[in-house]
Amino acid sequence: MSFLVQRSDVGEFRRRYRWLVLFVLVAFSVLIGRLAELQIIEGDMHRAQARRNIVRERYLATTRGVIRDAYGRVLAANRPAYTVYITPGRVDLESTWPRLCRLLGLDESEKARFETRIKEAQAAVLAQKATKERDKERDRRAEQQVVLKYDADRDAVAWLETHNPVGVDVSPTPVRYYPYGELGAHLVGYMREVDADALSRLEDRGYRAGDRIGAVGIERRWESYLRGQRGMRKMLVGQRGKLNRDSADELEARYLEEPRRIEPIPGRDVSLTIDIDLLASVEKALRGQAAGAVVVVDVRTGRILAALSKPSFDPNVVSGGGGIAAAADAFRRLNVDPLKPTLDKTISAAYPPGSTYKPFSALAGLADGLVDPAAEVDCRGGYEYGKRFFRCEGIHRHVNLHSAIVQSCNTYFYDLGARVSIDRLAATGLDYGFGIKTGIGVNPEARGRMPTRAWYTRRYKEAFRGGFTLLSVIGQGATTVTVLQLALAYAALANGGTLYQPQLVRSIETSDGTVVQEFPPRVRRMVGVDAEHLEIVKRGLEGVVAEKQGTAHKEALPGVDMAGKTGTAQVTHVTSRGVDPDRVWYFNRAHALFAAFAPSKSPEIAIVVLIEHGGGGGKNAVPVAMRVTRDWQKLKETRLSARSNPGDTSRSNL
Amino acid sequence: MRGDRMSFRTGPYVDMPLMLAAVGIVTLGLVNLYSATSVYVESTQNSRLADNYVSQIYWVVVGALLAILAAAIDYRHYERLSTFLFVGGMISLGLVFILGNDIRGSSRWINLGGFAFQPSEFMKIVVILMVARFVHNDPKTEPRTLIDLAPPLLATAAPCAAVMAQPDLGTAIIYALICISILAMNRVRRGSILVVVLAASAALPLAWYYVLRDYQKARITSFLHPEADKTGTGWHALQSQTAIGNGQIWGEGFMQGTQNQFGLLPDQFSDFPFAVFAEDWGFLGGVVLIALYAFLSIWAVHIASQAKDRFGAAVAIGVGAMVFWHAICNIGMATGVLPVVGITLPLFSYGGSSIVTMMIGLGLLMNVSMRR
Repeated sequence: MSFLVQRSDVGEFRRRYRWLVLFVLVAFSVLIGRLAELQIIEGDMHRAQARRNIVRERYLATTRGVIRDAYGRVLAANRPAYTVYITPGRVDLESTWPRLCRLLGLDESEKARFETRIKEAQAAVLAQKATKERDKERDRRAEQQVVLKYDADRDAVAWLETHNPVGVDVSPTPVRYYPYGELGAHLVGYMREVDADALSRLEDRGYRAGDRIGAVGIERRWESYLRGQRGMRKMLVGQRGKLNRDSADELEARYLEEPRRIEPIPGRDVSLTIDIDLLASVEKALRGQAAGAVVVVDVRTGRILAALSKPSFDPNVVSGGGGIAAAADAFRRLNVDPLKPTLDKTISAAYPPGSTYKPFSALAGLADGLVDPAAEVDCRGGYEYGKRFFRCEGIHRHVNLHSAIVQSCNTYFYDLGARVSIDRLAATGLDYGFGIKTGIGVNPEARGRMPTRAWYTRRYKEAFRGGFTLLSVIGQGATTVTVLQLALAYAALANGGTLYQPQLVRSIETSDGTVVQEFPPRVRRMVGVDAEHLEIVKRGLEGVVAEKQGTAHKEALPGVDMAGKTGTAQVTHVTSRGVDPDRVWYFNRAHALFAAFAPSKSPEIAIVVLIEHGGGGGKNAVPVAMRVTRDWQKLKETRLSARSNPGDTSRSNL
Repeated sequence: MRGDRMSFRTGPYVDMPLMLAAVGIVTLGLVNLYSATSVYVESTQNSRLADNYVSQIYWVVVGALLAILAAAIDYRHYERLSTFLFVGGMISLGLVFILGNDIRGSSRWINLGGFAFQPSEFMKIVVILMVARFVHNDPKTEPRTLIDLAPPLLATAAPCAAVMAQPDLGTAIIYALICISILAMNRVRRGSILVVVLAASAALPLAWYYVLRDYQKARITSFLHPEADKTGTGWHALQSQTAIGNGQIWGEGFMQGTQNQFGLLPDQFSDFPFAVFAEDWGFLGGVVLIALYAFLSIWAVHIASQAKDRFGAAVAIGVGAMVFWHAICNIGMATGVLPVVGITLPLFSYGGSSIVTMMIGLGLLMNVSMRR
């Protein structure tokens, strides 16, 4: 080794070694410190993230309860449709997304909307990891599934099931189905997607973006019963590697936090008091009329047997059964329709009752002793009061209370109006449930109005005038009622003064048919009415149909026994402003009304027919009520004979 | 520790601590590679990837033979050879551009018959030898000026420029760090250091706009702002941190790390093997591995301090620096304290050229330790 010359000494290096060792130690200590931070201090957070990376939560859909009529016929049920969900934080924007859009046929706006959402979610996931804060709220949002498409077609579903791309889930969701379509749509209601507002309120109750919620009617009011509770199942994603050797059960036991599975709870079924056959006959009787409302109630229970508002809408379409675009389109059309198809005219709209209110005015007069049933008033076509002349529909000459009701003589009632106080009239009206919400529970309820002296004083700055009372007596002026109120009040007349709470839901059942809750009829109040007075009025009502001079007599059907009162309610004159000029004549026509009960002796049902702008009540509203009552009689007979027949399979609740 | 050298009759002196540390890291690396590749063995039946750890064993054997060779020849011969090695290395770095095959957008490999090798890896040893040669032959004792240091700096800058062109930022950084580490043993004028620091800070913005490729910039920006980078390298770094954190104190257990087994870790056997290891074996395993690297680095300094000449000391420091900076950069990258740069974990990462280079380096270290 002599050829290797040792030339330089290493002395210069000596002093540096210590510093090098120190540098090495410090550098590795920093790494160990960082390791401790990641694994010990933040260990739980990272473990949670690692678990989230391999665990997916899948919703298990629940079944919404079924809505049935009084005889077990299904009014709202479910049919299967495949809903495609995405987890925005996970979807692969490059490979999966374009294919998905094509398969599901998303339009550009939908596509763009979801794309921003996906990007936001993925940015949020990264932001959260960057800040190292475990924000549970944000975690949950990033992992939250959103609905991409309802009712996806079978080809798309098949592709998704075979390829199972990350962040996309398909679940068969029951879609709401209304077999009777427009029939009873206002009462039964429809479904809509829960909006952001409602979502923020309802998130604690398990609602997620894209969920459907009952929009109106029973679907809305009984949402909490019908909805049920969705289940959840956790599963491992893309199982790979060595862990594949272990059985799936073992792996799930190791990595999935309890609870691993929550079974869905199906919603409760709701049985209504409605008789869909009767409702169908109402619909049939109303054909040829543009708009109107009919309510049939059982006078012995206050149960609503039929309630129909015309025109109606198809809940299948507005619920999105035919796609979201179709539903939006339907709403656009419904909202501009001057006949207001979405308005429930039986509950949510108040109309002047016209002459159908006269029985209550008569009862007010009788109670105060202002009316002598035998006393006659000479009708010469009107009544002079103050400086005004109040017109009658005809020249009835000498009428007493009975014939005034039968012939619907205004003059007789003007005379009463000149003597009775308006506050007394209003008080009687309130007794019969006018001017107060009935508390039916579904749909926004109109209150109607029983004007008082105070109300007029508030409304018109000048002094109260007696003429207002004259108008109130005949159900005009400021007096308004809802069709439902009128039906319940006539039911009270028919049953001798019991005002019932209107009842629409008969019972709540579990999905296997066990009755959970039954709702008995509820009396709202007993109207303090003299039986004798009531009898006088009822005889008058019978005369309306039965007597030759009666306003409903001409339209009476043979074999139909009913008693009632016609009404022709003048409407506020509208000008062509805001209305199609060709249709102004229609909107200026009077409302045709008929309020009745049947049979005339020991009555069972009360029926109110309102034809919006239908003209004269006797001519237009009576035939509808007659036909409905005839059909009701027929149905009753069929059911009676069926019940005595042991082969009957219908779901009668009696 | 032996106080005196063994004679040839009792067999060559072997630096046992160095040997054991190296064997320990290699063993852990192989075990870990088995865990890291098992994902593919099970799921894709991809035998090429599945055989990774077997071929890694071959490379370890090849590396061990070359290490013995490197240790057997007296290191002072390398001083003279270094110029030739440097020329040869530069030529092969040039060949990469002609023969190289593209892997992920950069050409780093040369195909020789059945296997590919990476000249830039072996160049690390050559850089060590070149800089050590300068240090050895430098007669000065007073602080050096920049002009004095020009030869080693140029000898480093040349391969740096070549690998930057591939582009391979990580290797260029390693060359530079090795060079600086060895030169740090010398006294350098304060003024010169100041000039270098100022020049470097002036060069940084220029490098940003003219030298760095877009993906390299992206890695740095995503390191500085992880939330801004939605899918690319930022995501990889975050998955790695999640994996390490998931290991907690005791680890998920061998081949039980979910981030690895569920395929969430990118490049888990070349760039992020530490994440796999730390997930499987937890904080305890991580500390053991880091301690081994720390020991290796400090032991290299110890060997340097005992070397009988400046060349030996400089080579020992150079090899130690190579191991040290690789370990720091790779673990730093996996734990998220440094940006993602493709620097391997020495003796641990999968990759023939890398492990052979490291073992040759350790052979040189052994060489210096044997001849003190």
